[in-house]
Amino acid sequence: MPEQLWFTAILNHLFAGPITALLRLLHIEPKYPQAPIHNAVAMELLVFLFLVAVFALLRSQLSVDKPGALQHTFEGVQDLIEGQSHEIIGDHSEAHTPFLMVLAFFILLCNLIGLIPGFESPTAVPVVPLGCAICAFFYYQAQGFKHAGPAYLAHFLGPSDKSMSIFIRIPLAILMLPIEIISHLARVLSLTIRLFANMYAGDMVTLVFFSLVPLGVPILFLGLHIGVSLLQTYIFILLTTVYLAGAVAEEH
Amino acid sequence: MRKLSNLFMGLSLLCFVVPALAQGGEAAATNWVAITAGFSMALASGLCALGQAKATASAAEALGRNPAARPGIQLALILGLALIESLALYTLVIIFAKVK
Repeated sequence: MPEQLWFTAILNHLFAGPITALLRLLHIEPKYPQAPIHNAVAMELLVFLFLVAVFALLRSQLSVDKPGALQHTFEGVQDLIEGQSHEIIGDHSEAHTPFLMVLAFFILLCNLIGLIPGFESPTAVPVVPLGCAICAFFYYQAQGFKHAGPAYLAHFLGPSDKSMSIFIRIPLAILMLPIEIISHLARVLSLTIRLFANMYAGDMVTLVFFSLVPLGVPILFLGLHIGVSLLQTYIFILLTTVYLAGAVAEEH
Repeated sequence: MRKLSNLFMGLSLLCFVVPALAQGGEAAATNWVAITAGFSMALASGLCALGQAKATASAAEALGRNPAARPGIQLALILGLALIESLALYTLVIIFAKVK
């Protein structure tokens, strides 16, 4: 039996049977059949349920005349994200706000949940930031195709200057194609590793100082972890916005 | 002549290495991966610090020249710092993946 958090233990106790059966249908044998749900998955599920509950509560309390504190908070976050995406993307950037806001809240809560005893950050496991990065990657590629149609593929040929002769533009395009593809894939890698390494290093450094000075000093690192969580969420959203701008913005 | 004598002096010093090669494999094997990991992390952190110092210095100078452009400068600064930071973190991830 693997080491489980209390929430994971509850979920495995309730759902281990059906989930193992489903996995076996897909020819996947779970490593521990009595505990197929991983800690990270259970924590992500908890964050998801919490966010759905908060959004449902917010939706029921929306009011134009007398906005409550919850509405003010969410409107503040929306102003921040919309202002930033308008600055970076240009016009028609409001369509991307829902995705960016949900991603921001999800990553932020996943980062912060590790601070509560009895829970651990799902983003400290490499696959969770990979999932978030893949979501962002497919989102901006899909937005690029939606905005420009099949002509979006011209983005992968690098910059093209109509004034240069065709004999220069074709070799340049052939040279730029693998570079652009690798650069796009490297974006997924860098988003993943940046988020994962920051969260994992925060955990490790707290543990190291806990083993040296058990009283008082680790709390400084937990405070640093809060700051790093906020900053890394902001950076993830900022970089997703920049990649969106690269895919969607019109050339002047 | 002086350079030649320095060269011979250096080469003769290398003879001191031979006893260490003779006992290779007897004692507990030194964990070269850990030693290299320490050096590489130190190098990565140092270079990352230099890069971030340059970024912060020019951001502070630009802010001093043109305080009205604060949002743009702040955005560029935070973005640049996070990207440089992530380069040092790639080294840390390799260490976690490879050092037992």
